[in-house]
Amino acid sequence: MVTAAAARTGEAEQTLVVDLPYPGEAGETAYTRADVVFTGVDHSSLSYEVRLFLNNPTATAATPRTEEHGYAGRFTIFGHGGCYGDMGHCDVPAPSNDPTDLRPPHPLTPLDTYVTITEALRRVRADGGTLQTVTLVPVSITPSRADRKPAPELLRFADVSLQTYLTATEDDPEASY
Amino acid sequence: MGLRKNAVALSATELTDLQDAFAAAYDLTDDRGYGFHAGLHGLPLPSYCEHGTLLFLPWHRAYLYFFERALIDVLRRTRDNETGAVSLPWWDWTSAASHTDGLPPGYLAQGDGTANPLAAGPVTLNSSDLQLVRDNLPGAITDGPNPVTIRDPSPPDELPRASTVNRVLRSVTFSGFSTLLEGIHNGVHGWVGGAMSAVPIAAYDPIFWAHHAMIDRLWYLWQISPRGVNPPAQLLDRALAPWPMTVRQTLDISTLGYEYAAQVIG
Repeated sequence: MVTAAAARTGEAEQTLVVDLPYPGEAGETAYTRADVVFTGVDHSSLSYEVRLFLNNPTATAATPRTEEHGYAGRFTIFGHGGCYGDMGHCDVPAPSNDPTDLRPPHPLTPLDTYVTITEALRRVRADGGTLQTVTLVPVSITPSRADRKPAPELLRFADVSLQTYLTATEDDPEASY
Repeated sequence: MGLRKNAVALSATELTDLQDAFAAAYDLTDDRGYGFHAGLHGLPLPSYCEHGTLLFLPWHRAYLYFFERALIDVLRRTRDNETGAVSLPWWDWTSAASHTDGLPPGYLAQGDGTANPLAAGPVTLNSSDLQLVRDNLPGAITDGPNPVTIRDPSPPDELPRASTVNRVLRSVTFSGFSTLLEGIHNGVHGWVGGAMSAVPIAAYDPIFWAHHAMIDRLWYLWQISPRGVNPPAQLLDRALAPWPMTVRQTLDISTLGYEYAAQVIG
């Protein structure tokens, strides 16, 4: 697991590069599915997408989304586009420990999501290589297409990890699109 | 029983009924009208919509249910016809036609200049909220005193592919299915652009309802597939504010009075 703080700035300060070595110190394990899992993802601002590239630390928003460039998939965040309440309205409170507090979570509570990268990871391993880095390329999804641009400021999360699974079937869905 | 159809399969009469129902709903300024229902998704506050949680699918099913009922009511009242009916069509953004043409023709501005209520929706917010939207989300709504929604769609071939949806339909857990489908849903909001690209005002665009009918239909198709399972038990009795409906009450669409026309995906 890598915290957001441990991610380093990538090309032209438009991306984030995280070290997610696989096989790591624990060695390789059998898997039928591999996910890059993000926790604590912010969705309070503009909508945005995050493209993932394996072992391509110089990837940018202009990098083609192709196997040759290590593209592994993306996720899209449907954003709230700013705060529309009074001061403090969009501050997410800490989870309550009060068992009588039956209120639902704050609408801007950060979310968890994942991108399934099974095939992209297998391509890396097929050549005898190892996964070293995952480059995160955030691009804004503004109302006007002409305004869309690399937007590293939109991607705020708690941590990211690579999780492999041995599932009952190899027919599990891929998140890549 | 209402029958939701593919948006491109509506008859001329069905399309006219849908347009008339939306137009009549635009004219209602109370809690039966379009502005009320669109506002429940975001602005004006409070925002009730569920995103990034396992209530995403049940909440939006309830949302469509109550809006569809409101459309039927307003159409009957407008026409003084107690048997009038209208159903929300779905927009199949995976279809070959969508990947060539983008949005369904019925939701586009008419070439002859005739107003089409499905091409844009009025954004009936107070001046304070309108200013915030214009400041935070330029390009989402038109300028002037009576703004309507704007779209700025991406190239049609960037819409989700049937193969992607088919992979999602092979999910074996509710959380996996919901998370993957919501991700695709997010991408389509961004593909349409304009008002649809932001939570607070997305539902003011009439295409919102056709997009979500597609999402709801995919959930239904997964439910009746061998892999479909219910949401986790601890969620089944959760209320779906602001409606008097629980997750459990959304699970069987036949009890909600509608069904989906048959169509093979892919």
